[in-house]
Amino acid sequence: SPAGDSWGIFTFLCAALCNLPALPALNCSEELGAGQSIQQTYDLTRYLEHQLRTLAGTYLNYLGPPFNEPDFNPPRLARAERVPSATVDLDLWRGLTDNARLAANYRAYSRLLCYLRVLDGQVGTAELRHRLAHFCASLQGLVLSIGGVMSSLGYPLPAGPAAPPTPPGTPAAPNDFLKKMDDFWLLKELQTWLWRSAKDFNRLKKKVPPAVVTLRLEARGF
Amino acid sequence: DSHIQYERVGADVTMKCGSMDWDAAVTWTANGTDIDESHLNGSYLILKNVDLSQSGQYSCYEGSSWHLKYQTSLRVGTPPKEPVLMCRSNNYPKGFYCSWHLPTPTYIPNTFNISVIHGTKDMVCEKDAVLKNRCHIRYLQLFSTVKYKVTLTVTNALGKNFTTLTFDEFAIVKPDPPESVVAKPVPNNPRRLEVSWQNPSSWPDPESFPLKFFLRYRPLILDQWQHVELSDGTSHTITDAYAGKEYIIQVAAKDNDIGTWSDWSVAVHATPWTEEPKHLTTEAQITETTSASTSSFMAPPTTKICDKGAVVGSGAVAVCWTAGLVVAAYSVLFI
Repeated sequence: SPAGDSWGIFTFLCAALCNLPALPALNCSEELGAGQSIQQTYDLTRYLEHQLRTLAGTYLNYLGPPFNEPDFNPPRLARAERVPSATVDLDLWRGLTDNARLAANYRAYSRLLCYLRVLDGQVGTAELRHRLAHFCASLQGLVLSIGGVMSSLGYPLPAGPAAPPTPPGTPAAPNDFLKKMDDFWLLKELQTWLWRSAKDFNRLKKKVPPAVVTLRLEARGF
Repeated sequence: DSHIQYERVGADVTMKCGSMDWDAAVTWTANGTDIDESHLNGSYLILKNVDLSQSGQYSCYEGSSWHLKYQTSLRVGTPPKEPVLMCRSNNYPKGFYCSWHLPTPTYIPNTFNISVIHGTKDMVCEKDAVLKNRCHIRYLQLFSTVKYKVTLTVTNALGKNFTTLTFDEFAIVKPDPPESVVAKPVPNNPRRLEVSWQNPSSWPDPESFPLKFFLRYRPLILDQWQHVELSDGTSHTITDAYAGKEYIIQVAAKDNDIGTWSDWSVAVHATPWTEEPKHLTTEAQITETTSASTSSFMAPPTTKICDKGAVVGSGAVAVCWTAGLVVAAYSVLFI
């Protein structure tokens, strides 16, 4: 649906304006306040989670059995570790600073987006390509939205561009089955990250008051 | 020499009198009562197609001396059927519990063994302090992509059986119902009811894991519920209650993002505020008041024509009659 693309464009514009150092920081997300941007980011993760359900169903059917079987529960192979995992120790997760929490989300989705784009270039059917492209656009919107929240709170964006699809030294999947396993785990991690983000942004919602934003504006000397 | 012997329902059982020869003269008793010789084959006791009523203490005595030679406690039962297993997280993100039972009794003692595997890791399921058929798992990690596999094995003297459940961390999240549901009328508001409740006490962290709620209500006299979904807050004011009618109200809870809805809370009853009836002295005044209170109730479109609460007096009979005629006419057409 076009709704996802226009959302992505909106957040992109907002985030872009936020990041231009020359302009006085009077733009959409800062006027709204960090609190409201967090709400919007939360809403976006829920929307993506919903979208992913349809996408994953279609993609796993494309991969075929056993990947599309509901009981499929394969062991985690070492090579799958390059996909960033949402799994975290409970106390550690609770103790994350706002900066660390946001940064973890930003890094994860940047890398997941990269992997998804690689996938997009490889899939067979036109329908799948279309769905993937739409999802990638929405996911891009999420990354920018998180970036926008971080900037409005005065946090630096995590260093460097998104990691390359295959870190040097990791061999490409030696066979078709292992390649499909990689795809399976990518979708699983993406789904888990979206569930986790809902909880991350719930916590952030409660802790970040909009008033914080104006103080930081003054500190930057605008 | 006494022990316990387990046998299946419907089996044929042969009991030997200890080390006595086959042709020895013996007497068998069941729970102290002599057993007829027709059940004996030499000194062996034969019980064919045993049933549950034949469970008991069997004793064998030497013919002349009446020495007790052998004693056994016979327990007739069945091997276990596949057990029923359920796992649920009502205290997310702390962990989850699993609870089990047998669909049919076996009539003999059973032992249950539960194993929980997370990926390659074996997890400990701590026995519940009170309930024998329940144990608890504590999450070590949150937001896991690896499924949990729970296997329950039930064993008794006659056989064993097992069942397995495999699930994701998020799939089994189901809170307990909301607690302390209270519904009160609102003074001077004949169509309002104020409902309030509390988060279930088993939900450990509503700040980071907020719950959303579902409220349902209906007047006792109607079958159809009205529903309201509330994304936050633990209170709600109903503003479309029918004046003077008693309501039944329930609330359910769900994690904002994952899992399933809780069961409905305990139902509470409440009636909206009504004006105090004026003090009556004459019969005419009594008639006035009763007709006034019935006219304040407006029948909703879903009410059946013949619902007693909707219409009062002889008018109802006429309406029912007419409706009956119409229905009868239609059914004649369709025969």
